[in-house]
Amino acid sequence: MTNSERDARRHVQAEAAALAGAVERMAGDLALGEEPSNFAVALVAGAPRD
Amino acid sequence: MTELTLSELAAAIAGRKVSSLEATEACLERIGRLNARLRAFITLDAEGARARARALDADLAAGRRRGPLHGVPLAYKDLCHVPGLPTSCGTRTAEYFTSEIECTAVARLSAAGAVTLGKLNMTELALGPFGDNPHHGDVDNPWKAGHVSGGSSSGSGAAVAAGLAFGALGSDTGGSIRLPAACCGIVGLKPTYGRVSRAGAMPLSWSLDHLGPMTRSVRDAALMLELIAGQDPHDATSSPHPVGTPSATLEAPVRGLRVALPENYYFDGVTDEARAAVEAAARALGSLGARVETLRLPDPAALIDVAGILARAESSSIHTRIARDRPHELGDAVRARLEVGFHVSAHDYLQAGRLRARLTREFVDEVFGQVDAVLTPTIPEAPPLRAAVTAPPVDEVVRRMGRFSRLTRPFNTLGLPVLAVPAGFTPDGRPLGLSIAGRPFDEATVLRLGHAWEQAADWRARRPPV
Repeated sequence: MTNSERDARRHVQAEAAALAGAVERMAGDLALGEEPSNFAVALVAGAPRD
Repeated sequence: MTELTLSELAAAIAGRKVSSLEATEACLERIGRLNARLRAFITLDAEGARARARALDADLAAGRRRGPLHGVPLAYKDLCHVPGLPTSCGTRTAEYFTSEIECTAVARLSAAGAVTLGKLNMTELALGPFGDNPHHGDVDNPWKAGHVSGGSSSGSGAAVAAGLAFGALGSDTGGSIRLPAACCGIVGLKPTYGRVSRAGAMPLSWSLDHLGPMTRSVRDAALMLELIAGQDPHDATSSPHPVGTPSATLEAPVRGLRVALPENYYFDGVTDEARAAVEAAARALGSLGARVETLRLPDPAALIDVAGILARAESSSIHTRIARDRPHELGDAVRARLEVGFHVSAHDYLQAGRLRARLTREFVDEVFGQVDAVLTPTIPEAPPLRAAVTAPPVDEVVRRMGRFSRLTRPFNTLGLPVLAVPAGFTPDGRPLGLSIAGRPFDEATVLRLGHAWEQAADWRARRPPV
């Protein structure tokens, strides 16, 4: 592995770790009942009432 | 003729003032003259377009009008599968993406009478906001040579702005409709997530992808939306929520609508001229009777982190084969962005999905409990020099990409409808952009506000010097 390949790998791993860390910090108090599909529910609930 | 809007041309064809073949030839003439500079098209189907236009003219002569776009020449981002034409997705592989079905949005536009001119250039795999492409050439900005066209729907932006097509389809995973719309001085609509079927279009991130219209007027965007929106059995995420007829309510007064200028994030690091353009739009809407206020928005940085996890994990899953087996075929920045996804754990991916649900619910409740729409800049600065932002090293290019799209990405996490409209021009003629975000499935309100601003400002009268 060349130096530039090693640098690239380090950069990729650092970015992944930073994203994971940010999500983990926010996810600490997620409700047990929260699930990804609630996103679609939130959109429908937020639509204007006709 | 190519200065007409899509709606104006459709009316002219319906009134037999101009034929579809004449409109198609006018586009082909401009493409022939300007595409070498703009590099907006990857695939041009001149003969197919002429044959279709002749058939549609014959239909009209016989009293058969296919629909609202009868005879209007359009073009599609080269990630939409159109039978008979290759779909490169901006890669060097001509048929990178294949599908058993035609792109639903394209099929619906064709059913409404549109003529397909061809397939439009884009950033490789739709990963990047600058409009550069190592395989098909960098799309140039029609307003200012050497400056970024915006991406990833770069060809769509340049083609519509320069009059090579009367409208186009783009896709938007982190701003890829809105950024080129802003950079090219046209209108782009990222509809609500699920509003427009993604079937038959290359996915980049199932959770964040949206298809939408790119046009020269807000009315055109409304018309195209009405035609492409609606549930599709080929896309499980497409919504049955009725789209209505937003084009019919464009002229409704904006008096009494509440619009917010964000107090946080959206003006940080934004140039004075980009800020001033948005504030001028807010004042214009205020003078029309809208109630303009400032509002602190829920943390947009959290939305960007969530989008980062979802987009990286999903895009590396989708494009595993090229990223693993043929990485040398990809540009450095695209390869680096895909590589990150291989390091995202299942745990983090699921947590991001759960957070997205909570953040969206909180944003909708908190913001739209107080206002009807939010105004932000679309791009933090006027389109920069392409050579400056795409210069290595690659990690710096990736950082510049993140900065340039930082105002659009939060809305992909939220799935909200956002209309990008021209906001003005710098003294040297580069476009500035305004975004109008609204409630889920309330495209009608953002289009109405955008139309009011468009009429007040009349940026549409300006044409790029090409």
